[in-house]
Amino acid sequence: MSVAEAAPAAPSVAPTVEGEPLLRVAGIHTYYGKSHILDGVSLTVGRAEIVGLLGRNGVGKSTTLKAIAGIVHPRSGAIAFDGQPVAGLAPHTVARLGIAYVPEERRIFPYLTVLENLRTGLDRRGVSKARKAALLDKAYAYFPRLAERRAQFGGTLSGGEQQMLAIARAMMLEPKVILLDEPTEGLMPSMVSQIAQIVGALSREGVAVLLVEQNVPLTLEACRRVYFIEKGVVRHHALAAELSLDHSAIHQYLGV
Amino acid sequence: MNIPFDQFLIQTINGIVTGMILAMVASGLTLIFGIMDVVNFAHGELFMLGAYVGVLTLAATGNFWIALIAATLAIAVLGAVIYLTTLRPLIGRDPLTTILATFGVSLVLQNYALWQFGPVARKIEEPITGHFSLFYLEYPYYRLAIAVLAVAIIGGLWLFLKHGTYGIWIRATTQDRVMAQAMGIPVPWVLTAVFAIGAGMAAASGVLFGPLVGVNSQMGTSWVLRAFIVVVVGGMGSISGSIAAAIFISLLEAYASLWVSPAQAVIVSFVVLILTLLFRPTGLFVPTPK
Repeated sequence: MSVAEAAPAAPSVAPTVEGEPLLRVAGIHTYYGKSHILDGVSLTVGRAEIVGLLGRNGVGKSTTLKAIAGIVHPRSGAIAFDGQPVAGLAPHTVARLGIAYVPEERRIFPYLTVLENLRTGLDRRGVSKARKAALLDKAYAYFPRLAERRAQFGGTLSGGEQQMLAIARAMMLEPKVILLDEPTEGLMPSMVSQIAQIVGALSREGVAVLLVEQNVPLTLEACRRVYFIEKGVVRHHALAAELSLDHSAIHQYLGV
Repeated sequence: MNIPFDQFLIQTINGIVTGMILAMVASGLTLIFGIMDVVNFAHGELFMLGAYVGVLTLAATGNFWIALIAATLAIAVLGAVIYLTTLRPLIGRDPLTTILATFGVSLVLQNYALWQFGPVARKIEEPITGHFSLFYLEYPYYRLAIAVLAVAIIGGLWLFLKHGTYGIWIRATTQDRVMAQAMGIPVPWVLTAVFAIGAGMAAASGVLFGPLVGVNSQMGTSWVLRAFIVVVVGGMGSISGSIAAAIFISLLEAYASLWVSPAQAVIVSFVVLILTLLFRPTGLFVPTPK
């Protein structure tokens, strides 16, 4: 039973009121052993919004995504998705609610074929055969290379193809938000611009993206808003358009 | 020494029959190890309890095949219960704790069987009693039926893993548990189901093999030891490797018993184990690691 159903007042009001963000992370703290990784991270992502998360290495960007995906459980703080608290839920429950996670290492299933990799997200209850076929067709239209290699093991793909597969696999969940961790790391420049186009296309289809990146120009171009994270805390937050005009925040938090 | 061809052929058939049973036990063991890194020391006791459930169901119904199915299902449920109560709470702990836990479970089950069923071995009647002439022997059809059934069950497992959603879920979980869960696969249920499948296969092997040896509370011990050897020689976690290793080792033991007594022939499997660990510790029947 959801919280909305349990609440005594106004059950007829939809849990997401107009203007309420799709995803709200409020003051989450996580620890790895005794070391404090996230020291109260707060951020929001709107529907179909592309939001960037910038910061130096090891400041907690990836951990933030893992916490939202339910892979790391925050010790305190709250995560609300679509008006529902999700902190503490198992990762597979979070995924089925509509939060897809594309990790930095891609983590393709090496001994599943490309098609089987896609089916890990596709074979859900309540998805009709026609809908499954449509989702596969869409993924193959986005990434024709995957269609060519659909019967090949995931582990035999190149780095760029694995990144395509990781994004396509996330799309199979029909998510409302995709958590994308450094998708362009180690890719050829031509692939980098393709990834940027895909991120834009996802947003036009109504899918929000929370993008962790090292590539600052790409982030400013793709995102509407950007958060700067430092030592486990969000230090700064601005529209990407403003940051493109004034680089002082980028110099301050990234030292570039 | 000259070995007559007829003896050689008989031992080949014996080795394949034993090998198929061993392959069934070992593939459940290696499936469980592959997906959850748990070495299940209670596997032999699931084999033994399966045989006992077979004895009881056979006494109640008089039908061997019903007994086979009932034992498989009952022990699969028992396996799921053992997993949920004993192993799931240990996820994320030192692997040593799961070894101790499953070893503890094996002692409990073994002594439960001794207390419940007594020290005298029970008999499962062969469902197929016919014989055929094989040189100087009257060879029972049932032994061949065991091999055929074992092939069918292992083949069924292979088809289940290779095709269909649940097979994909199991393989994905084996390859990357965290990512499988991030893709929405209900990993806790997958692990429970895999443990139940492994347990059910052990139980089916126990019922199939029961008519050849008699059922007693100790019968699991020697099987699980041999199954461990097979799993290591075949490559930990590799089902095809385990099947190949089971047949390979059983054939070697069968041939060895042409010269020495069957009890001494067991030494062969230990020699193979030691040589494997020395020269190819990743397993004989898996591709060379890069």
